[in-house]
Amino acid sequence: MSLKKIGAIARKEYYHLIRDFRSLYLAFFIPLLLILLFGYALSLDVDRIPTAVVDHSKTPESRDFIERLNASLYFDVVAYPVSTEKMTRLIDGNRVVVGIVIPPDWTARLKAEKDAPLQVIIDGSDPNYAGNTRAYLMAVVGERNQNRLLTFLNRRGREPIAVPVEARIRVWFNEALESKNFIVPGIIAIIIMIVGALLTSLVIAREYENGTMETIRSLPVRASEFFFGKALCYWFITLVDVLVAVLMGQVLFGVVMKSNFWLMILASMIYISVALSLGLLISVKTRSQLMANQMAILLTYLPSLLLSDFVFPQQNMPAVLKAVTFAVPATYYIDILNGLYLRHLDFFQMWENFAVLAVMAGILFFLNIRALKKAGL
Amino acid sequence: MVLVKNVSKTFGEISAVTEASFAVDQGTLAGMIGSDGAGKTTLLRIIATMIPPTSGSVIVSGMDAVTRRDAVKALLGYMPQRFGLYPDLTVDENLDFFMDIYGLTGAERSRRREKYLGFSHLTPFVRRKAGDLSGGMKQKLALACVLIHQPRLLILDEPTNGVDPVSRQEFWEILAEMKASGMTLLVSTAYLDEGENFDRLVILHKGRILAQGTPEAVCSGYPDLETAMIKRIETVDAGLAEERFAL
Repeated sequence: MSLKKIGAIARKEYYHLIRDFRSLYLAFFIPLLLILLFGYALSLDVDRIPTAVVDHSKTPESRDFIERLNASLYFDVVAYPVSTEKMTRLIDGNRVVVGIVIPPDWTARLKAEKDAPLQVIIDGSDPNYAGNTRAYLMAVVGERNQNRLLTFLNRRGREPIAVPVEARIRVWFNEALESKNFIVPGIIAIIIMIVGALLTSLVIAREYENGTMETIRSLPVRASEFFFGKALCYWFITLVDVLVAVLMGQVLFGVVMKSNFWLMILASMIYISVALSLGLLISVKTRSQLMANQMAILLTYLPSLLLSDFVFPQQNMPAVLKAVTFAVPATYYIDILNGLYLRHLDFFQMWENFAVLAVMAGILFFLNIRALKKAGL
Repeated sequence: MVLVKNVSKTFGEISAVTEASFAVDQGTLAGMIGSDGAGKTTLLRIIATMIPPTSGSVIVSGMDAVTRRDAVKALLGYMPQRFGLYPDLTVDENLDFFMDIYGLTGAERSRRREKYLGFSHLTPFVRRKAGDLSGGMKQKLALACVLIHQPRLLILDEPTNGVDPVSRQEFWEILAEMKASGMTLLVSTAYLDEGENFDRLVILHKGRILAQGTPEAVCSGYPDLETAMIKRIETVDAGLAEERFAL
């Protein structure tokens, strides 16, 4: 293997890249767009739920209830419709997700120590969101009931009592339960797959389409030289994209990498190698840019997005799909990034993930060399 | 220089070349003539070590094309039928790529660059992208790239295909020059009227060698090469047809 030949191919590949608008767009614009899109739009947090309250009671008590609801970060009372019909229209029009109706006799019934129901309507279109909304509302109402019960008992002359069972919850790793802390590592993994695999899936197919593969085959270039020369340029670009993504995660979303930075770089390097090898393998096998592009989306981007534990939890997947996730490289990489970003783990607590990625890179390298030799190199 | 012995190549069920044997002497201009699909490209690719033969062997300058592939590759230049350079790279960058691959550096590198750019009249166009060159200029650039490492054996697959008559004439003059410098050339063509330019001819039809020898010998008894070839093809095809009937 000659470094000069690898350099020659890498240089040529660099020219291709900087002169091809589509590649440049994929390499630099798409990652930025993805970070912004995923970071801002794909918030899995349920908070500031748009709420409408119909207050028929109009008493200090009812207003106090609404205020407390509004103060609780989770609910944002955006409308005070005068009738139930108007509230229904707000829900229909997707303006609010929750509608609460306080009946006219609500305060009177409370004061009379009778049951005082509230009517609550939740838009269940997004079950996850609706479920969270219901839980929050139950908590708000439950707390209110508890306070009332305690004051009731205390008024009856008993000595003040404490709440008997209380769960003292302490959340580890992602204390604020913010999904952005979880999303940023996921985006980095997706970006690597897009830039790494989608971009490289075009490069050998392009040689076939231009008829230049024929020339390459006649030159004294070995399969390994060709492979490394092709990968080199994209390897560095993808690494730059990772750094940009990490930086943007920090600047825009305040997600700070507190663990070992170099461990993250090491993991990224191995994962980038896996992504590039996958893209090049698809490229040499399909020999057509269009086919390669489709295959790359199907085999690299979609599994990374859907099966990697990023968007959909692997715990909830059926057994067959769960088995497939073991073959998705992003699974291991996202696990490492979560370990670094959230859990502050060290190498020895995650070495299995590194090992699996390294083995994947090794197997893919071997398959690439075999495919290139078969193609006449 | 080139010794082809009983070379056959099959792609699955299809046999592209059957039992081809011929030799090309050092310093000669050998031509391979045949219609489309005769197996010219396959045979040239086998000699250029790009694909291994299914059976038989190719010896280039005393070395086996399969077992000593790297050494053979280093002394030959192959120009594919289709334009095989990078259209988005400039003339200079394409040349650079070839010189990098062959490890040309320093003074020798700039000397070769001047020489082959000058000889292909491409010096004014070094900054132009290869894809923006005219057909004739593309062909000359391809030739410059394949010559840059000064191969001892030059294999050209239908170099004059789709080239205008003036450029074709110019091209033949260049080939004659190279022959005069001691290079061995193996050139395929589908144009029978170009047959006179060769020292030796190999007539290929349906993957088999129909005839070989000097152009005069191949013509033997017929007024020109075209008639000679058509007659030979007719004889062979009739024979094949009879064989089929007998079965």
